[in-house]
Amino acid sequence: MKVTREHYRSVKDLPSAEFVAPGSPLCAGCGGLTTLRLFHKVLGGKVVVVNAAGCMTLMATYPFTPLRSSWLYTTMASPSAGAQGLRDALDILIESGRLPADENLEVLVLAGDGSTIDMGLSSTSGAIHRGLNFWYLCYDNEAYGNTGFQASPASPLGSLTATSPLGTPWSKKDIFEIWRSHRPPYVATISPHDAVDLAEKIERARPLCGPKLFVSLATCPPGWGFEPAMGDELAKLAIETGIWPLKEATDGSIRHTFIPEHRRPVEAYLEPQRRYRHLFHPDRRDDVIAAIQAAVDRYWDAAIASERC
Amino acid sequence: MSTQTVRGAGLEQRSVNRDGFGPSGPSLRIRVRFHGRGGQGVKTAGRILGTGAFLSGYHCQDFPVYGAERRGAPVASFARIGNRPIDERGVISEPDLILVADATLLDDPAAGVLAGNEAASALFLNGNPDAPLPDLGNRLHLIRWDLTGAAIGRLGRAGALSAGLGAAAARFVGIVAEEQLVEAIRSEFTHLGLSTGEVDANVAFGLDVFRALPTVSFRDVAETEEGLGDSVVPMIPADPLAGGPNVISPGNATLRDTGAWRLERPVIDRDRCTRCGLCLIRCPDGAISWDEEGLPVIDEQHCKGCLICRQICPIHGIGLEEEARP
Repeated sequence: MKVTREHYRSVKDLPSAEFVAPGSPLCAGCGGLTTLRLFHKVLGGKVVVVNAAGCMTLMATYPFTPLRSSWLYTTMASPSAGAQGLRDALDILIESGRLPADENLEVLVLAGDGSTIDMGLSSTSGAIHRGLNFWYLCYDNEAYGNTGFQASPASPLGSLTATSPLGTPWSKKDIFEIWRSHRPPYVATISPHDAVDLAEKIERARPLCGPKLFVSLATCPPGWGFEPAMGDELAKLAIETGIWPLKEATDGSIRHTFIPEHRRPVEAYLEPQRRYRHLFHPDRRDDVIAAIQAAVDRYWDAAIASERC
Repeated sequence: MSTQTVRGAGLEQRSVNRDGFGPSGPSLRIRVRFHGRGGQGVKTAGRILGTGAFLSGYHCQDFPVYGAERRGAPVASFARIGNRPIDERGVISEPDLILVADATLLDDPAAGVLAGNEAASALFLNGNPDAPLPDLGNRLHLIRWDLTGAAIGRLGRAGALSAGLGAAAARFVGIVAEEQLVEAIRSEFTHLGLSTGEVDANVAFGLDVFRALPTVSFRDVAETEEGLGDSVVPMIPADPLAGGPNVISPGNATLRDTGAWRLERPVIDRDRCTRCGLCLIRCPDGAISWDEEGLPVIDEQHCKGCLICRQICPIHGIGLEEEARP
């Protein structure tokens, strides 16, 4: 299925300005950093980043920061509370004339899956409930990557982490649906592989007032165990196998922005990663691989059926 | 400065008789500090040395310290070895032996590779024995050896040096026999979940290094008591405002030199480039930009060498050059 592109036809149309400078101390090949850089590029420079503790907090290690915008660091559980404070302060200052309206900033929460899906979920749920006008970018590397890759509720079935050396027994919490059930104006999944899709989604969300979520698959070379050069290839495989659906929900109704009609088998995505190596060596774990494939098939059968009717 | 340049077999051996330093002999205390970049294996190297010394009947500690940074950023690990219980704690500020896995760290003042080197008996530098060196002071016994080359020879890649670095430390210290070293490497790599083939390759790599390097002599234990003697090393408190998160120069990360993280560099074939711009978009760090001719150019000071650009280039127009190792 081809989604009409309203703002950008190709990567050449993306804005050229950069708001994340090179020289950050994040890992070589970090997919989360690619997402942030592209997201910031499209969103523009008038942004205050509210950054929950996590990998990305290390971007700005005093006295250096790659951000050319403003930055507030919060605890893991409270980025949305920080966003509320900033949004309120900006609104009040502008309304009372103490800050010119052209100095208004977009409030962007930047948080990993641990904060978004686990520790920070209650403050975020409150912020969505109050209709806070903010952007939320979650870089989902599917574990607590900053502290040594321990399992988070975003760790997918069968994946190996520091605290699940035999593979996680659970399925990933569905943050897209958790957010959607709060009825915010906009929820989307994005990928560092598809910059135009990412940019289109920001443009579609821009006129909407209220909480706007973007969840990006953040390929993680040290945590997932692959050569940094393969980062983009894995992000692509996640889309082509159907493991990472690209979709959006505007006022609750879901639309997929890419439907992989001929999905590749999930092994193509799993096998190159060390965190899934135990599914292939020394013995092939067909039961777990089949369970992962079945979950993907179930998802897409339902999605395709509902989008066609 | 006495410089020892070791090139494979047939080198001068400076063996020291360690027989007197058995668990019941005169007091022995050796403090070892490893420096490297995240991912090079300095933590595991410290563990190999510690485990090897423990298996040889000595008391030991080993522990790493990471900054807030990431793979490629400077990290250090420490080991203390002695034939009496070790009450000393904390980071080692005056090491007897310093091992540096990456010579580019000499240029990074924040890495503190040479901190407290005045008292050190030996400095090991992984690198080309003939490359020019900065002034290292004149108290160090300097051993330069191409550990990365040995790793490429044995493991086929330059990344993780831990087995070789741990073996080098074990050799210099001189109290770990080959048998205990092999057991230590096996134990550490098995814990890391490596396959039998990978463990065997690392054991072979460790033995290559162990057999190629000499032992070194250390100062007498009476001279090496740290600070107040056998006690907790004091941690000096810093002014909390010194670490305040108030960055007032946005984008100043460009002052940092993350280009030193690279082992291999991407090279754009400017004659074949179609200017599609995908490399600019996919570079995580934004280290590629358009030059005045409208062609992509790589920012050598900041490219970390992830090589995603090379992988995704639709016309395979990005080549690879091994980074010249200092």
